[in-house]
Amino acid sequence: MVVGLSAAEKVYIAGGIAADIRGDGRGRHQFREFNIDTSVIPQANGSARICLGGTDVIASVKAELSVPPPGRPNHGKLEISVECSPTAAPEFEGRGGEELSMDLSRALQRSFLGGTSGAGAAIDLAALSIVEGKLCWALYIDGLVLSSDGNLLDALSIAMKAALSNCGLPKVEIIGGTSPEEEPDYELSGNPEEFTRLETSLVPVIVTLTKVGKHYIVDATAEEESQMTAAVSVAVNKKGSVCGLTKRGGTGLDTSVLLDMISVAKRHSAVLRRALAFAGLFSSPNVEKRPVSFCLLLFRRLDANGCRTK
Amino acid sequence: MDFISPEGLRLDGRRPLELRQLQAEIGVVEKADGSATFEMGNTKVIAVVYGPREVQSRSQQQHDQALVRCEYSMASFSTGDRRRRGKGDRRATELSLVIRQTMEAAILTNLLPRSQIDIFVQVLQADGGTRACCINAATLALADAGIPMRDIVASCAAGYLNSTPILDLNYLEDSGGGPDLTVALFPKLDKVSLLQMDSKIPLDVFEKVMNLASEGAKAVAQFIREKLMENTKQLVLAKGR
Amino acid sequence: MVLETQKALLKSDGTRLDDRLPTYVRPAFLKTGAVKVAAGSAYAEFGSTKVIVSVYGPRESKKAQAFSDIGRLNCDVKFTSFATPLRGKAGQDIGDKEFSVLLHKALEGAVDLHSFPKTTVDVFALVLQSDGGDLPAIITCASMALADAGIVMRDIVAAISLSCVGKNLLLDPTYKEETQEDGSVMVAIMTSRREITQVTLTGEWSSTKASEALELCSDACQKLGESVFLVPKVCIEEIGNFAIFQLPRPPLRN
Repeated sequence: MVVGLSAAEKVYIAGGIAADIRGDGRGRHQFREFNIDTSVIPQANGSARICLGGTDVIASVKAELSVPPPGRPNHGKLEISVECSPTAAPEFEGRGGEELSMDLSRALQRSFLGGTSGAGAAIDLAALSIVEGKLCWALYIDGLVLSSDGNLLDALSIAMKAALSNCGLPKVEIIGGTSPEEEPDYELSGNPEEFTRLETSLVPVIVTLTKVGKHYIVDATAEEESQMTAAVSVAVNKKGSVCGLTKRGGTGLDTSVLLDMISVAKRHSAVLRRALAFAGLFSSPNVEKRPVSFCLLLFRRLDANGCRTK
Repeated sequence: MDFISPEGLRLDGRRPLELRQLQAEIGVVEKADGSATFEMGNTKVIAVVYGPREVQSRSQQQHDQALVRCEYSMASFSTGDRRRRGKGDRRATELSLVIRQTMEAAILTNLLPRSQIDIFVQVLQADGGTRACCINAATLALADAGIPMRDIVASCAAGYLNSTPILDLNYLEDSGGGPDLTVALFPKLDKVSLLQMDSKIPLDVFEKVMNLASEGAKAVAQFIREKLMENTKQLVLAKGR
Repeated sequence: MVLETQKALLKSDGTRLDDRLPTYVRPAFLKTGAVKVAAGSAYAEFGSTKVIVSVYGPRESKKAQAFSDIGRLNCDVKFTSFATPLRGKAGQDIGDKEFSVLLHKALEGAVDLHSFPKTTVDVFALVLQSDGGDLPAIITCASMALADAGIVMRDIVAAISLSCVGKNLLLDPTYKEETQEDGSVMVAIMTSRREITQVTLTGEWSSTKASEALELCSDACQKLGESVFLVPKVCIEEIGNFAIFQLPRPPLRN
């Protein structure tokens, strides 16, 4: 996105980051307040919308019955795509948003889909299998950027994690055709009470560290992003494993700096996950499909170690 | 298929002459000049206005009036079965054009020469009547951006199923095979700015359906007016503090 | 199931199907000046992955593009229709586009864009044969081609990928190894400055394993970079297998 900044503004941003107090009063390692709504798209199996400062994204999960991917009969399918709506910026009109959409989709695919063998995927692909070699769930995770004020990748990963946690798969009953030769005969349960939840504890969240000058910051705004020299997005799951790395920006990084960034991102992701789990308390299965809104005002006062500061 | 039960109720429990629940919110995108969401039942649309601003490509600049542009897009999750729609598909192009022409008729373009106004409409959920919903959302977004207009534009659809004129069709009724008539009008001036219909109906029925859609649009206009008043009041209060 | 795939990729003596140890890269062949009409070009072979890159420019930017006081680097990656076992592999277009973006990201930090203001340098890469490690081969080859074209660069960029299969880290994987990997890492490094210009990682990695993999890759890039540096001087140089943390094998000669 094009952000027009004067020389004075650039100095102000860089100087503020060096002094550990940014334009909106945050320290280098503070996130903005955010707000999560779940079940915002009734037609989807799961959905969530997150407003992170001026960034506003929606993620939806749609489940369809499909045939397992070739060569992996006991796996389901997981697909991720992102679209940037021109509502976020007039530059995204027509094909203008395509490049950014592709960049974001690839970074998310890298973090959520695991290796080519399917190991390390955000959702256990074997859990999506229904009849081996014949029938499985295909989960389509779509992200839509409605408004953009920096840090889209982190916001999208949080929204997708929330949408996956919100996702309910209808029960499938296999009536016949279980032998290898026959086509499986199945019935989808129409009862809205009967659904299975996905195991989402291992879905990673992405933390992007943006390097401006000598320091790096989390949750950069669009203005701060325009001043970055490099940014590294690290996806971390509950186990503390790194699930994806994506680098942006032309400047080179030392290997030791990169490893340091990974460990800082890990600390931040733990805080984010805790906040998300806290939000998750309010969406117990009984009140499923009723929109849940949760505002993480407290979050602002949590530092990277998850402690409350003044 | 029976779209109206013997008790006179439609599939979603409405009476034939009943609108779906309307909801709207103004100022949803911080960075834009004007923005609004508009909901008609399960159909939900977000409209964003950028402008008036400098014309992006010189060749399109008009010296005596503003250039109005519109882009319509559908989220991949907005329809029941997921499918990726290209931005440039025929339906999207047609709708962009329809919305642009309707809004252009309302905007006092002669007051803003050599400038450009962009209207971006994004469908979040589609459940019939997207055309009308887009126009309503665009009106609110334009008003939020403070763009001078002759009058607000309000729109509503109506159809004719099981020999009954019905108002504000949802997706099931929309695909029921009957006619689908969308009207957009200026409520104060009492003028129609958009009238579209597919399929065919007898002329005398057409008048009934047309009147029904106009009545619906007027009800929507009332709602839009209330929303705008409410928003303005809030702005006044915010300023007073 | 997991055991089976591992057995298939690693032999009982711990070597891979092509007799390499896990930390060996494939025999590489690098050559500059492969395309006569281009300002600079290079050809690279890593095992049976073969790529050719030509560089044109700096030349006038397209009229449609806005004025820019720094130069533009335009990268384009294409696959020949016979590069893959399945002719014109499905979804290849998307892959090409992503490779182009990643190539650009890996190179932009190394090229001094200020040295050719208002103009464009085009980097056209063509994958003649794809057998794993396509992107790192393209990046290394492209940086040689840029050097051959006399474009001002801060450093040579060398890139290597690595696959994780079960517990094993396989450096410079072949296509077969890539299709069974549980995770992969690709690192592009400016070799004498030891700065990472581009890094991607997929799959689930513990922190220690991730740093081990990143270090393995960067060491390999370092070694590769040393060889690449020789190429422009001698113009044609053949490198044999080279090893990381191991004694080098005698270079292979054709």
